[in-house]
Amino acid sequence: MLQIIKNKEISSRKKAAIHLAAIFLALLTASVFILFMGHPPLKVYLSMARGAFGTSYRFTETLIKTIPLIITSLGISLAFRMKFWNIGAEGQIIMGAFGASWVALSYPHLPSFVLLPLMGLGGLAGGGIWALIPAFFRARFQTNETIFTLMLNYIALQWITYLQNGPWKDPGALGFPKIPNFSPQAVLPKLFGIHIGWLIAFILVVLSALFITKTKKGYEIQVIGESEKTARYAGINVSRTILVTLFISGALCGLAGMIEASAINKTLSVEITGGVGYTAIITAWLANLKELRIVLVSFLFAAMIQGSSYIQMAFQIPQSAAQILQGLILFFVLGSEFFIRYRIVYRSRESGGGET
Amino acid sequence: MRKIGFVLSLSLLLLALLAGCSGTDSVSKDMVAGFIYIGPPGDHGWTYAQDKGRLMVEKELGVRTIYKESVPEGPEVKDVIRNMIDQGAKIIFAGSFGYMDYVEEVSKEYPDIIFLHCSGYKMTENMGTYFGRMYQARYLSGLVAGLKTKTGKIGYVAAFEIPEVIRGINAFALGVRDVNPDAKVYVRWTHTWYDPGKETEAAKALLDEKCDVIAQHQDTAGPQQAAEARGAFSIGYNSDMYSIAPRAYMTAPIWNWGPYFIDQIKKAMDGTWTSGSYWGGLEDGIVDLAPLTPNAPAEAREIVEEMREKIISGEFHVFEGPLKDQSGKIRLEKGHVMSDEMMLSIDWFVSNVVGRIETGK
Amino acid sequence: MTLKPAPHETLIKTRNLTKRFGDVLANNAINFKVKKGEIYALLGENGAGKSTLMNMLSGVYTPDEGHIFVHGEKVFFKSPEDSIKHRIGMIYQHFKLIDVMTALENIIIGRKDGFFLRTKEIKKQVLSIADRYGLPLNPDKKVYDMSVGEKQTVEIMKVLYRGADILILDEPTAVLTPQEIQNLFSILRRMKNEGCGIIIITHKLNEVMEISDWVTVLRKGENVGSVKTSETTYRQLADLMVGRSLDLSIEHVEIQEKNPVLEVRHLVLEDDERIKKINDLSFTLFSGEILGVAGISGSGQRQLCEALAGLYPVASGIIKYEGRDIVGLSSRQIMDKGISMSFIPEDRLGMGLVASMDLTENVILKDYYRSPGPFVDRKKGLEKTLAIIEKFNIQTPGPFHPVKLLSGGNIQKVLLGREIMSEPHLLITAYPTRGLDIASSFLIYDFINKQKKKGVPILYVGEDLDVLLELCDRIMVLCDGKATGILESQNATKELLGLLMAGETLESVERMNAHASDH
Repeated sequence: MLQIIKNKEISSRKKAAIHLAAIFLALLTASVFILFMGHPPLKVYLSMARGAFGTSYRFTETLIKTIPLIITSLGISLAFRMKFWNIGAEGQIIMGAFGASWVALSYPHLPSFVLLPLMGLGGLAGGGIWALIPAFFRARFQTNETIFTLMLNYIALQWITYLQNGPWKDPGALGFPKIPNFSPQAVLPKLFGIHIGWLIAFILVVLSALFITKTKKGYEIQVIGESEKTARYAGINVSRTILVTLFISGALCGLAGMIEASAINKTLSVEITGGVGYTAIITAWLANLKELRIVLVSFLFAAMIQGSSYIQMAFQIPQSAAQILQGLILFFVLGSEFFIRYRIVYRSRESGGGET
Repeated sequence: MRKIGFVLSLSLLLLALLAGCSGTDSVSKDMVAGFIYIGPPGDHGWTYAQDKGRLMVEKELGVRTIYKESVPEGPEVKDVIRNMIDQGAKIIFAGSFGYMDYVEEVSKEYPDIIFLHCSGYKMTENMGTYFGRMYQARYLSGLVAGLKTKTGKIGYVAAFEIPEVIRGINAFALGVRDVNPDAKVYVRWTHTWYDPGKETEAAKALLDEKCDVIAQHQDTAGPQQAAEARGAFSIGYNSDMYSIAPRAYMTAPIWNWGPYFIDQIKKAMDGTWTSGSYWGGLEDGIVDLAPLTPNAPAEAREIVEEMREKIISGEFHVFEGPLKDQSGKIRLEKGHVMSDEMMLSIDWFVSNVVGRIETGK
Repeated sequence: MTLKPAPHETLIKTRNLTKRFGDVLANNAINFKVKKGEIYALLGENGAGKSTLMNMLSGVYTPDEGHIFVHGEKVFFKSPEDSIKHRIGMIYQHFKLIDVMTALENIIIGRKDGFFLRTKEIKKQVLSIADRYGLPLNPDKKVYDMSVGEKQTVEIMKVLYRGADILILDEPTAVLTPQEIQNLFSILRRMKNEGCGIIIITHKLNEVMEISDWVTVLRKGENVGSVKTSETTYRQLADLMVGRSLDLSIEHVEIQEKNPVLEVRHLVLEDDERIKKINDLSFTLFSGEILGVAGISGSGQRQLCEALAGLYPVASGIIKYEGRDIVGLSSRQIMDKGISMSFIPEDRLGMGLVASMDLTENVILKDYYRSPGPFVDRKKGLEKTLAIIEKFNIQTPGPFHPVKLLSGGNIQKVLLGREIMSEPHLLITAYPTRGLDIASSFLIYDFINKQKKKGVPILYVGEDLDVLLELCDRIMVLCDGKATGILESQNATKELLGLLMAGETLESVERMNAHASDH
């Protein structure tokens, strides 16, 4: 009979083999799917890689998509390290973008060097406060943060929809519901051909790593993540640490929102996140919440998104089919985690036989 | 987890190398035309009509086309355009109003590429606009609806409070008025172009208010199905929807983009293309009324044909004074014909429309 | 259903039973046999392989090598159901009863014979079995109304009803009061006389000596000796179990100068549902004194310790340290007042230490915040860790090894080391030797005594009454959050402590004794 057994420790070579097998299986399964749609799978895969890295333009696009993923993953990781399941990055990005947009639309004529930092603060505050709400209720009333943060995503989204259709509707758009564009001063400048968000992301990666491994707060977060009881035993003010950490977590997501609004959208819209808030949960998790790995995993995810968007046009595959392809790859890679934690054994009926 | 990154990057890198070896993209010197759609080509509506035009281009000109479906009216459009150019597109048709600002922005980055934006009003050196005088066809459909209604209440499911939609509602209402002066047109906003659920709900609400004919300015057949289910009658949009609602559907104002697309691409290939604004009507065939089905009142056929001829010949104008708005105020004096400018920025309803335009600020 | 007499003298026998987990040899060629009417003890320290052996006998694990013979027949167990079919009954340490059901309902649950339950008939059967073995059973009592001892009786009844004639009991006395232990033993003796075979798994030497006929000692998965209990001694068994000769006496230190340090008056502690966990408790703790706290588990020991350490809210009452009221202060506020309080909680990895962190990170747990600036001073922490490793002789690959990968004894030494290195003014320990082997336990008693010599007042919450009597100066007995008595160790006996743990007070015991002597 088949039985599932928990693996104790697994060598990193075995882990790599499992992951490799997972990716191979994903590509194989997707191949069937692609063939079914009438395209040669290998050609589609090659195009996917070409779409993500083939030209300097595409490579740049991939990098631009990497930036918000990195920053949001950093924010999420911070909360996750505390075992605070912050599913609300999407809403925090939106509210950060809202905070930044409020500054940008209220003071459009300020010079860049004043306006951009103010927008940054707006983004930090917007995302931070949005994360503070569930943190407060969790610290005070032990509410379930997973549901709470998830619900706040929808509220944030509807808030922007309301602004877009109501008070912030662009009077110059002849009734079309959109929020006015930012003034040129409110747009992040470029550095080496990519908007300066990449530098911000880089700095944040370093700061996050330092924060978690070197500071007292970072130490406290790790202790809380291990056991709240131990934290209280050690004299750590658990409630306050949850609040502070979630503010930082949300603020990072909010900053990602500010960067997207300023550098990419140049306005605020309901499409601001592009699902980054959810994708970043996966990247943070796959990166094991470790900063450097977040950079790598985020980059690979961005490449996958960019690549599948490319093949959609190149092979005229419907949007939904390209998403199924993405989903398949994800499913297999995440699914392989099961085989890293458990193994399946066949147990013979004879007691002397043992396991195979 | 440690190795996943390594493994993933290695495999992707390998693919990238392979890609590098296999030479450049299959982008030829030939013309490639890009089409950006707001919905999926299977929507039986707006995007379906555009995709029919694209397929006609491929058939008639043998030009390679690429398209991207379901592109939201947000900054993502810029990415899509750049990706298309990256894949060799030389001329790009951006098929929705909300793309305007983004198309304008990118058009400045790529002066060698021709951009054509549908239904907007912004133009640059290499960005033109195109649209059809759909209001003419809507007027004709209004005649059909006005003749059909028994309750004197006609429902109209509408997307956004923008001049294009308002203009269509007014033209429709004027058609109703010309055959049935007592009937009213009830408007419901959905704030979406493409959402079968919301559109169906809006139609049901109108049916609940005793409307017995449903018209729509939406991209799905949801309102048609709602009318069919309740035994009411309906006017479609974009394309013939007879097969979807065989007992309700009477006719539809429809698009026929193919000839225009072909004309523009030919000019681009000749090098004779210039930026400009195109606004064709029934006379060009870009807009038309679909054939009336047996559901339509018998007497409508003759009236529709007569008015159609008069519009094409220029004998009749849909928007001709005197026109009163909902408050009874005269907006267009007697003897005047509404200018294109006024039509393109219209933000009020004619007197037999029931509904409110929320203009925001 | 009645028991058929077994056709074979030998009820259960193993031949070279072996089980490996990865590279670890959990059981190596274990041989023993249990005959009708015998009580067989499997003795060994934690990690000796007792549980693995038990799990093979009950069908949870399949042996890698070797065989099991039951009633003379070679058997292959694929699941626990198979072992039940062969009339083996398991009594686990943690009872598997449904609280809202009665004893009878729990006993017949899972029976597959027939759709309709003939409750009356079954009840009669059950009562007749209970009568035969002298089990005090009230079949209609709900489980949630039962004491621990009663629950255990239901568990035993359950396996007897299913026809078991081989009983395996895993650490059956761990949760019982001394009186309940005596009751259990008399039941076991009765069953033995009725022809059952009983295997009792334990690490308590005195119980082995008291109840068993044969004993097999396991050490590190090996069978290190099988002897007839009547032909061995306490000492010999202890040496076999540990593998070397041990000094088995706990030092009792006498300190002359005693000053009151901690005063607790009318303390009341309530849980979230406002149920009183400690009810009107008053006591004084003196310098250079070890005050033992006895009681069956769940009598309020944990809440008391946590409240003293500033981790549990005080509903009412006074806690004074050298005259200063510390009620309402958090643990850090207490420390910041200059009171160095060391608390060694019973839940080592869940409260006292951070399981997945390394030794250094655990050593800094309570004073990392004292270093100036926003950064953690790991250099100082490392020095301290190395000092603790050396002083407490901790077996670890290094100071950066995760504590959860250490053995139980070494984990406890890390915790104790950190607390003792902070030179405490007050030491609170809860079950500091739980799960430790004998050698480690004695090392811990030694560390505690050293603190006492320094004049540190110590609150020692324990479960082993022999240890409490030897180690402590005074013993306070808790029952349902109330102190049923505080007495000098030299005046206490295990029997007296047992009565107090069961809810009698010193006065009521005196009255009982007076009453008894009257007759």
